[in-house]
Amino acid sequence: MSKLWKIILYIGLSLIIIGAFVWAPLEPKILKEYTRIFYFHVPVAWICVLFFLIAAYYSFQFLRTKDLLYDAYAKISNELGILFAILATVTGSIWAKVTWGSFWNWDPRETSIFILLLIYGAYFSLRSAVEQEDRRARLAAVYSLLAFVTVPFFVFVVPRIYFSLHPDPVINTQGKIHLELRQRVVFFSSLIFHTVLYLWLFQMRKTQVKLQMILRLYKENKMLEE
Amino acid sequence: MNPEYVVMIVNLVIWTGIFLYLWRTDKAVKKLKQEIEELHLTEKLD
Repeated sequence: MSKLWKIILYIGLSLIIIGAFVWAPLEPKILKEYTRIFYFHVPVAWICVLFFLIAAYYSFQFLRTKDLLYDAYAKISNELGILFAILATVTGSIWAKVTWGSFWNWDPRETSIFILLLIYGAYFSLRSAVEQEDRRARLAAVYSLLAFVTVPFFVFVVPRIYFSLHPDPVINTQGKIHLELRQRVVFFSSLIFHTVLYLWLFQMRKTQVKLQMILRLYKENKMLEE
Repeated sequence: MNPEYVVMIVNLVIWTGIFLYLWRTDKAVKKLKQEIEELHLTEKLD
């Protein structure tokens, strides 16, 4: 990512923080003071889904080509995905404390993210349990694809089937976004800039992984020559 | 000072810290990539 984009990202996310605190109005009925978490909690959850989607894509690419580089990309994508899933859970939990009175209520939304964390946690257990590289990559790719099938179910379907205290069904009973103009500006800018942050993080990790692989191949070749 | 502004400033400081850390890491990765490219090990790069 170019220097200009990084500077735009820094200024953009700083303005979103300022906008969330001093510019965008608060939702007066349910969320009040805690409306602000919404501008960060939703984009973080969005990035988490994006990482899991990209991990599934690279897993599929690995199964198609058997190139270990794709397996490495799927792994880092799942790593970052789980990190953002934890961030979404923590921000959601803080939100739950201030609106529902306790950090954890086993609400359908909380239960589904918890199961999702377990599913993706198992991905890393699986990876560490298999020593043979090709076999590990193949199993992890199949598991990652299967794990992603559950993501839309747990993120979008389950919380809508059962009654949930989550503000999404409470505020948007007609499935529409009821936000004022300034709230919309801050929210959608936050989504866009968080996506830019995602692109930067992923690009950086991809380069790191490529370099690691090149150095490993170089060392292996050198050992063979000797 | 309004406590909301204090929280906002704390958030801005944390974001600046994360950004600077990412910037430095990115710079280090790019430098390493350049060094490896100079060693002509770049078959897998780009």
